[in-house]
Amino acid sequence: MADSDLENKVESSDGESIIRVKDLKKRFGNNVVLDGVDLSIEKGKTTVVIGPSGCGKTVLIKNFIVLLRPSSGEVWFKDRRIDNLPEHELNRVRMHYGFLFQEGALFDSLSVAGNVMFPILQHYKVTDRDKVDDLVRTKLRMVGLDGYQKYYPAKLSGGQRKRVALARAIAMNPEVILYDEPTTGLDPIRADIINELILKLQRELGETTIVVTHDMKSAYKIADRIVMLHKGKIIADGDADYIRNHSSEVVQQFINGRVGEDDLAVLKQSSSVAEVEFQPQDVEEE
Amino acid sequence: MLFEAIGRKSIGGVEDMGRFAHFVWESVVASFHSCFRPSSYPMIWAQMNLIGVKSVPVVMITGAFVGMTLAIQAYDQLAGMGLEEHLGVLINVSVVKELGPVLAAVMLAGRVGGALTAELGTMNVTEQIEAVKSMGTDPVRYLVAPRVLACLLLTPALIIFADLMGIYGGYFVSVCQLHINSRAYWNFSASGVELWDISVGVVKGFFFGGAIAVISCYKGFTCREGAEGVGHACTEAFVASFISILALDFALAVIFKGIYNTFWPLKSLV
Repeated sequence: MADSDLENKVESSDGESIIRVKDLKKRFGNNVVLDGVDLSIEKGKTTVVIGPSGCGKTVLIKNFIVLLRPSSGEVWFKDRRIDNLPEHELNRVRMHYGFLFQEGALFDSLSVAGNVMFPILQHYKVTDRDKVDDLVRTKLRMVGLDGYQKYYPAKLSGGQRKRVALARAIAMNPEVILYDEPTTGLDPIRADIINELILKLQRELGETTIVVTHDMKSAYKIADRIVMLHKGKIIADGDADYIRNHSSEVVQQFINGRVGEDDLAVLKQSSSVAEVEFQPQDVEEE
Repeated sequence: MLFEAIGRKSIGGVEDMGRFAHFVWESVVASFHSCFRPSSYPMIWAQMNLIGVKSVPVVMITGAFVGMTLAIQAYDQLAGMGLEEHLGVLINVSVVKELGPVLAAVMLAGRVGGALTAELGTMNVTEQIEAVKSMGTDPVRYLVAPRVLACLLLTPALIIFADLMGIYGGYFVSVCQLHINSRAYWNFSASGVELWDISVGVVKGFFFGGAIAVISCYKGFTCREGAEGVGHACTEAFVASFISILALDFALAVIFKGIYNTFWPLKSLV
């Protein structure tokens, strides 16, 4: 895609933005992960960030909430620049966010109810414990896990853990929910349950949703807008149809799950199994 | 190349020291605030149970063996000079001033420090610490402050247990096995051990406890990913805590000796 085409797409999608990043760069040592990303996230919409593994998707959304600080560039939440705020002020900003981590990141030492009420107990002086229990029940009902309050994370399946983590992420009624690979590691049915949950929460709560994924089925289902990252830069930005019909070979390879010529060449050059000198039958059993 | 490598290592070391110093400062501030925040008390209480109460048996066993071993080792030398009844002074001063605090702290560095690093390290690699942060909570206040306060408050108490058992262990071997006169043993002990000696040992506990907690938490917070990263962090935490205990012990011995000589200049010559 030509640069001018991309610029037009970004401009045209500029509704009321809630998060903006300007010329965002992030490097770890000599490894440049994000290389000048400009992005504006529209309020109340679902934006899906796609891209191959290791392209910087998770780093990007961690910059949105300043869990990682950018090497250079700016991060804005509403009308406030937040990447240069001290931690204690950032903590107040982060109360507007909910973050679903890839593996859930539930606290092992706390029960399901303890996990869900964690942010509430941290930020509010609770005088009526019954109200907190009701709130926990409501949030767990929203993710279909009411009745699991006393369970511990170790006793839950991967999908259930993610749903509890989602209940925890929405406990404070955040304005923005960030999902880091919500369907990774789940079977297709469980993955679709998570997709339906994301849609349901978006409908019911009307919050801004940002999802990082490489699951294209999920992306097409939930996205109002899809942004593709490649080698630390945005190479495509538009709705599902726009991405499906994108002219870039890199985009087409990714969305259709097709291996590139370069990767194929590497595979062809490597030795075949038959050429390997050491064979299992050469080994004597002890 | 060599100079480049040395330079890189030096800069890395200084940066790491800076990060550690910043972490210590954050921990001190967070611990201070937690003291005045009643909502933190249940967490401090839970950590005191885990860190302190459950360490009592192991610390008592350590103390008892220290006292008993000292009695066995020192008896022959003193008996050769006909001074075996002075054995109590030697054992009890050694136990309350040096060996009790140091060995109890080393046991805590292994038992508590390792557990703290492993727990926080696992939380770090499974993104639980980032999850705390993402919900607008300071992870140092939530995770580190209760552990630091628990170690700070309970290490001196555990040292008292170690001292007590060291004294009884020494007494048991001296009187029951080596047949030293019990009355003489206690009389010489009472004349040789001052409240100052006991206080020095207990005060050392605050420093040892603080060092163990802060080092272990720091190693947990900064550990690398994977099981190997957590294991490596635990080893580093123990080694660093152990060296800190010995270094602090030396520094505190110099300081306390200076204070003692300032207030009681003639007593040490007697």
